Amino acid sequence: MEPSTVWAPRVLSVLRIVVGLVLLQYGLAKLFGWPAVKMFQDLPWLSLFGIAGMFELIGGTLLILGLFTRPAAFILSGEMAAAYFIEHFPRSFFPIQSEGDLAVTLCFTFLYLSFAGGGPLSLDAVLLSKANLRPDMSRG
Amino acid sequence: MNSILATPYGLSLLSILRIFTGLSLLQHGTAKILGFPATPMFSNVQITSLTGLGGLIELVGGILFTIGLFTRPVAFILSGFTAVAYFMAHASKSFFPVLNGGELAALYCFVFLYFVFAGAGPWSVDAIRERK
Repeated sequence: MEPSTVWAPRVLSVLRIVVGLVLLQYGLAKLFGWPAVKMFQDLPWLSLFGIAGMFELIGGTLLILGLFTRPAAFILSGEMAAAYFIEHFPRSFFPIQSEGDLAVTLCFTFLYLSFAGGGPLSLDAVLLSKANLRPDMSRG
Repeated sequence: MNSILATPYGLSLLSILRIFTGLSLLQHGTAKILGFPATPMFSNVQITSLTGLGGLIELVGGILFTIGLFTRPVAFILSGFTAVAYFMAHASKSFFPVLNGGELAALYCFVFLYFVFAGAGPWSVDAIRERK
């Protein structure tokens, strides 16, 4: 087998974990104030940013674990697209001026993950292999 | 998991991710070297300064990565470059990327690392060159 066919899925899992961690700290900062980010101080949970924080907290955790990777990544991709167009795009067309580069890159990384899945280092992969090992009940 | 990557959608999306990441990086290069889009932080950057050299790597690497030419070696260099950027410019400010402003550098670093292994996908100059 070509080395890339072995290693590409493994590095995909590493990318998934890092993206999850990046996202998780936004969720934690918005909802629990840790790490303490000035912009997110005393944010009500039911504000626009607070609800985004819930997506980021739950979605980030799921991505790090690699559990329900595809649906989680799909929803997060939409969340990032919304964040980009609500928060950044009105400021400038160019992401470098509107500070939306992170949202764009996250959006497309999630979109890719929703199609590519979580790779071998994930709970999805563990659950899938267990399901395949289960004896076939239909044959009695 | 490989079988899903082998579907046309997965591979096309790999190329889409590559193009958008390349464009996103490219604007950092053009802002530093060409002054467009105008960014106050990068006005009057000397090409021979550290920021200027970074801008050159971003400009050339961003173009190659966007069109998908020599994707794997370019991604390898860019991954190392963004790792250096993270530790030189951001890591000293705080441990958490959300506080030191380094999330984008960290994210780039791992996206590029993935492309070293995954290659450019079907919509790339590399793919055209292989077909010939």
